[in-house]
Amino acid sequence: MSEIALFGNPNTGKTSLFNHLTGSYEYVGNWTGVTVEKKVGLLRDKKNHLIDLPGIYSLKPLSSDEDVATLFLLNEKFSKILNIIDASQLERNLHLTIQLLEFAKPMIIGLNMIDVSNQRGIKINETKLSELLGVSIFPIVARSGKGCKELLNSLDSNTSKNIESFKIDYGSILENKIEELSKLLPSNLNISKRWLAIQYFEGNEQVKKYLQSFIPENCLQEIYLDTEKQLITTEALSSLTKFIHNKRHQHIKKITSQILVKTKTTKPTFTDRLDNIVTNKVLGIPIFLTLLYITFMLTFDWLGFPLADILDGFISGPLTNWIMALLGLIGASAFLESLVIDGIIAGVGGVLVFVPQIFILFFAISLLEDSGYMARVAMVMDKLMEKVGLNGKAFIPMIIGFGCNVPGVMAARTIEQPKERLLTTLLTPFMSCSARLPVYALFVGAFFVKYQAFVVLSLYVLGIVIALILARIFSSVLLKNETSVFIIELPPYRVPQIRTLFRSTWDKGKGFIRKAGTIIFAGSVLIWLLSYSGPSGFDVPMNESFLAMIGGIIAPLFTPLGFGTWQAGAGLLTGFLAKEVIISTMSIIYFVPEANLQAFMATQFTPLSAFSFMVFVLLYVPCLATVVVIQKELNSKKWMAFSVFISFFIAYVLSFLIYQGGKLIGF
Amino acid sequence: MVLTDLKQGDTAIITDLSKVNILVQQRLMHMGMIEGVQVVTKRSMPFGGPLFLESHGQNISIRRNEASRIRVEQL
Repeated sequence: MSEIALFGNPNTGKTSLFNHLTGSYEYVGNWTGVTVEKKVGLLRDKKNHLIDLPGIYSLKPLSSDEDVATLFLLNEKFSKILNIIDASQLERNLHLTIQLLEFAKPMIIGLNMIDVSNQRGIKINETKLSELLGVSIFPIVARSGKGCKELLNSLDSNTSKNIESFKIDYGSILENKIEELSKLLPSNLNISKRWLAIQYFEGNEQVKKYLQSFIPENCLQEIYLDTEKQLITTEALSSLTKFIHNKRHQHIKKITSQILVKTKTTKPTFTDRLDNIVTNKVLGIPIFLTLLYITFMLTFDWLGFPLADILDGFISGPLTNWIMALLGLIGASAFLESLVIDGIIAGVGGVLVFVPQIFILFFAISLLEDSGYMARVAMVMDKLMEKVGLNGKAFIPMIIGFGCNVPGVMAARTIEQPKERLLTTLLTPFMSCSARLPVYALFVGAFFVKYQAFVVLSLYVLGIVIALILARIFSSVLLKNETSVFIIELPPYRVPQIRTLFRSTWDKGKGFIRKAGTIIFAGSVLIWLLSYSGPSGFDVPMNESFLAMIGGIIAPLFTPLGFGTWQAGAGLLTGFLAKEVIISTMSIIYFVPEANLQAFMATQFTPLSAFSFMVFVLLYVPCLATVVVIQKELNSKKWMAFSVFISFFIAYVLSFLIYQGGKLIGF
Repeated sequence: MVLTDLKQGDTAIITDLSKVNILVQQRLMHMGMIEGVQVVTKRSMPFGGPLFLESHGQNISIRRNEASRIRVEQL
């Protein structure tokens, strides 16, 4: 079995094609950079693997998701390249194609969106294009899967050969230098030397690092500067990068002049008409806020809440009764019965109740991503983000972070400017992820029945406000010497396909269910065991259990915040594993008949201390998975520790102010 | 004149990009926006927010301060 690498510009339908060719799923992103990792799928004919790489404009990386593609070419083994090209943006796409052709591996091209380009009055002579580039070309419509079968069959055939024939003449000066550099490289390299040389001259940092393992740095530098000097004096150009780009551009123009036929002039598209409304000067921001509000109300109030209620009724009613009956039937011991009912059902069930709400939220986020609206949000919010030293693109990781902080942190990779990326990574965990939602739901249900939605909304807003304030402080104090930049492509709107949307939602949501079966299950058993046993043996009163002892040790720390009980302490401690575990712990600790739960909690919390507790849970530390991903993304233990420390500090100070301040004004 | 001098809906040809931030310049290049290419200002975001530009059928957005460093010739 061999590996085929899928390359293409962002927003060309690359992920749709991947799904059609492999059948295994992976979500479709409409904003630049949803596919941030190397993903592998088995082709439908089960003969080869297809590797999905991040969408890139050029092999010369600008952001860290683009590094992935270049590093792949330099270091990985694969047999063939599949290049997807957006027919309606042919010129731009061909820049990448040429760089891939220069890599000189077998290659096949999928010419996508021929339907769109036809609508826009562009006809492409595919046979001629194939002739000019020297590779086979298959017209496809990736969204519907049209033409994908033929493409799949050709991927398997071994007819495709290395393309040695393709060559752009970069002019005698550069060609000589390419030759000179190639001669310095060892003869047994299995990467095209010409490609390495061209990429180096273009300014590809990853290729430069690679070359440094063969050629001394000063020698490399010398060739580069000498070439640039010669070209600047003879060609009157500002840089080598630009020179190479221009040469390619001329070549592309020559190609397109032979294969493009414009059939009619274009009229305003659906995208133009929709953009007139949603990016309208006056309406843009209100429309975005309204959409967020609708999402929020759907999740909590209109749809999510009643569904969660039904599920809760089922788990604590019929399901518990059935399991009790079953346990009675097999004559289970009191220990086992307590473990199952008080531990597992209370702990895992307490979290599973929130599955409907979490799926609604993920559905809404998928809808924003797949439609192409996300890029508009970045544009609409850019001015606000600029004020705090970030750019509009940073808003996207934050919105994704509302679903789960882990993909949110990873989405920060598409930000070009290193400083802004660092800040976005550090601040995304302040977005209230769906795992924190169960905690709010339990507390607002007990203390703020009348103002449920309002109280929860205030927590979401608080997370955003804190993140923005911190961004402002960090960008002006810690990292002040870099300018902020913003540039984003606004892809055409696409009506999301229902099937894609559901699978995308499922893909995001299944992690939550998996967590319920693993971490939360294990955590529930452990917590129950700690609450069931104590120094004096098993089946002790809860207050004399090990759990009470452990929670009691850290409880005094939280007394000034209004929740210095061992129950709260134990919940917060276990909540580091995953925020939902807080609710598992509380469900186990407060396991009392439904009717008494609220009365019981009222003995432990006042409305004020309950709010202070929720604020603390919102901010205190990112969960274990998020901390790990922050460390990986920033490649720095220092910043990871900083992230944990700063969030705990802010949570503590803010909860303290809320509780003590609230008491002063008489709550 | 520079790009920010254009009114909504005006078309112009880019004549000089060299003063633009290098990261933005390279991205613009990736998206095919180089000297000699036509560009239309479609609208701008409120409170001095970014510009919404169109160039041969693709839409992009850049900040006003970067746009003011792009020299253009109105058509």
